[in-house]
Amino acid sequence: MEMLIYYIKLSCRNFARNSLFFTLMITTLAVGVGVLLANLSILKSMASDPIPEKSDRVFNVSLNTWPNKNTLHEQPLPILRYQDAMHLLKSDIPTHSLVHYASSVYARDSESNSLSRFSASVRATTQGFFPLTDAPFAYGTAWQQPNALELVIGDILNQKLFGGGNSVGKNVEIDGKLFLVVGVLKPWKLKPKFYHASNGRAFNLTDDIFAPLEVALDSEWGIGAQQSSTVRISSSSDTRNKNSYYLQAFVQLDNAQQKASFQNYLDSYSQSLKDAGQHPLDINNKLYDVNAWLKKNNVVDDRMLAFGLATVLFLAVCIFNASSLLIARYHGAKFETGLRRAVGASRKDLFYQGVVESLLIGISCALLASVLSWIFLQLSISFFPHLEDIAEIDNELLLLGVVISVSTVFFSALYPLIRSCTTSLSAEIK
Amino acid sequence: MLKMNNISRIFRSETIQTHALRNFDLNVSAGEFVAVTGPSGSGKSTFLNVAGLLDGFDEGDYSLDGVSVKGLSDDELSRLRNEKIGFIFQNYNLIPDFSIFDNVDMPLRYRGFNSKERKRRIEHALEQVGLASRHNYLPSQLSGGQQQRVAIARALAGEPKILLADEPTGNLDSLMARQVMELLFSLNQQGSTIIMVTHDSDQARAVNRNVQIIDGQITDHSIYAPMSIPIQQPA
Ligand SMILES: Nc1ncnc2c1ncn2[C@@H]1O[C@H](COP(=O)(O)OP(=O)(O)OP(=O)(O)O)[C@@H](O)[C@H]1O
Ligand SMILES: [Mg+2]
Repeated sequence: MEMLIYYIKLSCRNFARNSLFFTLMITTLAVGVGVLLANLSILKSMASDPIPEKSDRVFNVSLNTWPNKNTLHEQPLPILRYQDAMHLLKSDIPTHSLVHYASSVYARDSESNSLSRFSASVRATTQGFFPLTDAPFAYGTAWQQPNALELVIGDILNQKLFGGGNSVGKNVEIDGKLFLVVGVLKPWKLKPKFYHASNGRAFNLTDDIFAPLEVALDSEWGIGAQQSSTVRISSSSDTRNKNSYYLQAFVQLDNAQQKASFQNYLDSYSQSLKDAGQHPLDINNKLYDVNAWLKKNNVVDDRMLAFGLATVLFLAVCIFNASSLLIARYHGAKFETGLRRAVGASRKDLFYQGVVESLLIGISCALLASVLSWIFLQLSISFFPHLEDIAEIDNELLLLGVVISVSTVFFSALYPLIRSCTTSLSAEIK
Repeated sequence: MLKMNNISRIFRSETIQTHALRNFDLNVSAGEFVAVTGPSGSGKSTFLNVAGLLDGFDEGDYSLDGVSVKGLSDDELSRLRNEKIGFIFQNYNLIPDFSIFDNVDMPLRYRGFNSKERKRRIEHALEQVGLASRHNYLPSQLSGGQQQRVAIARALAGEPKILLADEPTGNLDSLMARQVMELLFSLNQQGSTIIMVTHDSDQARAVNRNVQIIDGQITDHSIYAPMSIPIQQPA
């Protein structure tokens, strides 16, 4: 114990003595580790499985029901017509199913004295949304009637409108209409947001308002994502019986048999359209499980992967650099090493002293690296703005940063240290 | 105290072999003050390094204070160095940014003494060399002679069995050299065993035993009666 304190004291003297050297070395390594961490945090969010318990049992439904012979639409479309969507929902094969579209509204607490409104992202969807996505309820439940003027709200909006807490039973006013809050979600992050992974939305926050699809359409809440139509659409409710493609659909199919029968259900639906002369293209319907769906939408950005590789190489350069700096430093410290050996320090003593010193450097490096990684992350976000809501340095990554820093410094120091401890003694001091 | 028997030390490089010590025999008993002389390159420092366990040897036997050092591990050798040997170097070898106190403290740290014991020993050693009041000075704030006395205090602090000095006055002017020599004489009188390499024949003659090394071998061995006045005062 006393020796440990002595080693720490000696290390501090060394730092003071060679402050420029150590600052340079720690900074170099910290930059290397920091860049790597920032990059890993982004890649980690991109590559993670948003719903690992059942990502292989939840499927995106893509159909090709385009009504004319447009070869652009030979591939199944991830967006469906209202009538297609309704047909999907009718099936009792899936354990759960949902359809949705994205919208946005301005909302206020109907009881509030203030007239100011908050912009809120809306998921117009069906009841099946909640059990399928495992959305975590803090209070209340989903709506029970497809036409009820009821909402489930997310944690962030709940904070903004009502200051948090159990807001079930309160009313939200949107465009002069009152909506009853029936459910409030806990803080909910989906990395990535698989239910809307297309259109570069995979890294958006989960929504503020979840509303019944029929109510959203009747309220004419705009369609805020990809929409393709064969005719002019005058309003949201007008889409119900037009060839307007905008609804996304997901189903939960718990086994292969369920999946096969649902695929069959889709294909016979297409066949019936064909028989009615409304389906000129070949039948081509697809079910993508969550990870396949994310992959298909290129959620992991190739640029980030290339950048990731570059950061690993960069860190390697930093390590070599630190190692050669340390060789020079131990060479410079030969006199003191020799002297300590002469007065009775064993190789082990000097080795431990070096280890303590490199641990201290490693820890300082880890501290600096975590600050730098945060800065680099903000920088990366300015290059990739759509990552803003998900890229964060979590505890796991911070721990990794500490491990990388300490081991990096340790391994940079190991060879120089062993060399300095084992050189013969007599030549060192006169 | 120190017993060397037929020691040889050979430095090998790719092209040449140097017999720095050959068939080297020496016995030093407790309380002796031995001066080692000889031409440059004759093996004096090599002998001192072997004696001080800083360097190994290729043949022969060496026992220090009754312990045969052959085949000891690095830990054991370091322990022996720490407990039984005090080194005094020509260049003092003080750590420039350590205070006098911390410099003298160094060998005691590896001994595992607690801080009270270390303090007692450091103070005692600094008192012995006449620098008791300079704890917090840095080496650069002292004269060369004073620095060498600090180095001697460092060697003394562990209460070693034997002091090994390689030209301890080589960097000092004659007045300061005299002070250091007087200190060594008085330490010897108090019972310290000292082996000192020197180029100064006056110094050599002043001690009770002379060993001359030429070409790695002892060629002359003279024992004088201890002198009461160690060195001539410079004119
Ligand atoms: N580490 C070494 N490697 C190779 N040869 C060495 C080494 N150390 C000493 N020698 C050689 O061994 C011989 C004895 O050297 P040593 O340093 O013992 O001489 P010395 O008597 O102390 O000389 P000086 O009076 O100049 O200090 C010399 O020839 C020297 O070149
Ligand atoms: Mg020499």
